[in-house]
Amino acid sequence: MGVAISIQDLSFTYAYAETSRPALRHINGEVEEGTFVVMMGHEGAGKSTLCYALNALVPRFFRGEYTGRVVVHGQEVGKARVAEMSRRVGLVLQDFEAQLFSTSVELEVAFGPENLCLPRDEIERRIDRYLRFVGLAEMRRREPASLSGGQKQRLAIASVLALEPPVLVMDEPTTDLDPIGREEVLTVADTLRQEQRTLLIVDHDPETGVDADQIWLMRDGEIVAQGPPRRVLTDLPLLESCGVQPPSTVALFQALGWPGQPLTVEEAIAAIQEHGLAQPRPLQVPTASTDGRPVILEVCDVDFVYPTRAVKALSGVNLEIREGEFIAIVGQNGSGKTTLAKHLNGLLKPTRGEVLFRGRPVREIRRTEIARCVGYVFQNPDHQIFAGTVREEVGFSLKMAGMDAKTIEERVAEALEVVGLSGYEEEVPFTLTKGERQRVAVASVLAAQPQVIILDEPTTGLDYRHQRSMMEMLRALHRRGHTVIIITHSMWVAAEYAERVVVMKDGRILLDGPARAAFAQEETLAEAALRPPPLLRLGNWLGTSGLTLDDVVEELRAR
Amino acid sequence: MNIFLYLDEDTWFHRLDPRTKIIGVVLLFGVALVFNHPLYMAGIALGLVLLAAAAKALPNFWRMRYILILLVVFSTVLWPFFAEGPTVLWSWGPLEVSRESLMYAIAMGLRLASFVAAGLIFLSTTTNEEFTHGLIRLKLPYPVAFAFSTALRLVPTFAGAGATIVQAQISRGLDVESGNIFQRAGKFIPLAVPLFIYAVRHTNMLAMALESKGFNPGAKRTWYLNPQMRRADYLVLALLTALFLGALFLRLRGYGAVLPRL
Repeated sequence: MGVAISIQDLSFTYAYAETSRPALRHINGEVEEGTFVVMMGHEGAGKSTLCYALNALVPRFFRGEYTGRVVVHGQEVGKARVAEMSRRVGLVLQDFEAQLFSTSVELEVAFGPENLCLPRDEIERRIDRYLRFVGLAEMRRREPASLSGGQKQRLAIASVLALEPPVLVMDEPTTDLDPIGREEVLTVADTLRQEQRTLLIVDHDPETGVDADQIWLMRDGEIVAQGPPRRVLTDLPLLESCGVQPPSTVALFQALGWPGQPLTVEEAIAAIQEHGLAQPRPLQVPTASTDGRPVILEVCDVDFVYPTRAVKALSGVNLEIREGEFIAIVGQNGSGKTTLAKHLNGLLKPTRGEVLFRGRPVREIRRTEIARCVGYVFQNPDHQIFAGTVREEVGFSLKMAGMDAKTIEERVAEALEVVGLSGYEEEVPFTLTKGERQRVAVASVLAAQPQVIILDEPTTGLDYRHQRSMMEMLRALHRRGHTVIIITHSMWVAAEYAERVVVMKDGRILLDGPARAAFAQEETLAEAALRPPPLLRLGNWLGTSGLTLDDVVEELRAR
Repeated sequence: MNIFLYLDEDTWFHRLDPRTKIIGVVLLFGVALVFNHPLYMAGIALGLVLLAAAAKALPNFWRMRYILILLVVFSTVLWPFFAEGPTVLWSWGPLEVSRESLMYAIAMGLRLASFVAAGLIFLSTTTNEEFTHGLIRLKLPYPVAFAFSTALRLVPTFAGAGATIVQAQISRGLDVESGNIFQRAGKFIPLAVPLFIYAVRHTNMLAMALESKGFNPGAKRTWYLNPQMRRADYLVLALLTALFLGALFLRLRGYGAVLPRL
């Protein structure tokens, strides 16, 4: 086996960046042909930059100070143009939506081979081969825009594979996907491995890294650890310092002082059985009732049909939300989560049925007033940030409501304090990090002091550290008496923070109950193609009723 | 939201070479420009409807029905005041409506509708890439054609992002529907800024993706699409050319015009 990628003392500093801090510092690394490398690290650690450095986007597309040497399959990257590198390195960018631009699936795949000046029958062959490879052969004539997230990402992969590069690099290929889409993409990655292709993937989820040949752990532009997953993923303090979520099974075993470092639930169960560490018991779910509290939002038998589509996006949905609840709505894309949430603040009006806020139909509440009753934070903060300063951004809804300057000032300060951004008033929101922009978006909704706050995918695209602090902030909000509703694909987030979980499938509510009880029903969840997070899968087997690592540890100690 | 009009059917019209379709539409425009008699124009409009039926493009006519009707109605109401004819029907001060100007107006309405109809048939049967490819085969430089088709392609993407942005700001209490015109104009800033930034980010990403797939606008490349001029294409072009020349001939002989000087 030869060396596919060799990186020698690579440093890079972006020109025209906010800071003059190097994005990459003295990177060294070597990847054997046919191996699988997973890169992990916090936001801004330099993972994307390193990906770009492999196909010459750094330093050709992004200019800057470049030292060191990167060689991919005999070609020195620093001396090649991006188009030349495309024969050796395929790069699937993080934002798959932005990569698709053709009007049909087959033409999307044809684009790369066309650039390589391949004859028509060869292009035809590659379209066939790679669409079949990613499982989209039936979709040849479809419009890419009409595909699901997972399908789009697989199409993006096929369109890069069609150039037949020996090395494939994927920058967070699963971040924006629902669990099914994630599974689909990881299956493709698996097949690629079996074909002995060199594969580099950037990912946040430790479960992806379990099968890797090597993990590269990055922090502040440096590679701080390089090695097999069993070594890197078990060094919890190091993972923590890189903003990477540690595998919860390892964390559990270390906390209890149990022998072994199981990376997966299966390994953990095997280790427990082998060493007789604990006896599985039937699970008893504590019933914490919220029934006493007054109902704040009520969805009564709602159907909804989008004007341009024939299918019901919601059908016969009934939901009672009580004051001060913390609810997670989970389900695949297209299951109706966002559609349901948009009914709660009147952005969508039910085709049939009614939504009530404190007994009053939401459709009758004025736009400017609804912002003060039910706040809604959209998934992407960049869809709403427009102002020159954080102060102006956060005060926007108050200004719209016609409040005086002094009240606005006070409320903005308060909202910024809640999200942990005090002192950021004069900052330009666009220059903040993604996690901070997300907080600005939350603050701008909070400033109106809505009783209910809905967040669509509050942790998507954030690294583990930012996910934690975002969720801690929501927990604090919840403690202050707010009703918090999140839509999420992240099962551990739902498990650890929500009191109640609503599972949606095909526009209906499949399951609705206290978090622990919901996650105990693995079979029902599987119907919605969902799986409890590893800790709770293990907990379901062991019969522990805790939702967080600390609770489970305590419970097992007490046994 | 789908603002593209392409209908994925398999008719003889869909199978024509994009060059034929582009030239054909231009010829049809020409034919519609020749006459200004409502009866002749009605004939042309009817012909286009039949053509649309053959090309299975009628669903798009239905989708665009309001635009088509508005064009005819507005034109019929407004044109009489701007064209002068000998037989005055009604006059008030400097305003007058003549029999001829009224007929001319109807013809103009039909002409506009015919333009739209011809365009609709074209867009219903031609994908963005085929159109671009047709332009390239007609000797338009590739970078120009590519920029053109990418711009077209990005419209629905930006429209989708725009819709999300509107919802996000409405949820924060932005009320776009009230206020006078200046207040309303000010309210577009919270919509325009995020959209602009989105567009910059998006196009930057797209540029990176294109380069990563070996795109080089100046270099040689091959094509997967490979439309061929077949017998049907030549036949259609010959027919349309004959139709156009015949129309021109008729008009020069004095037929098909209510107001010959216009």
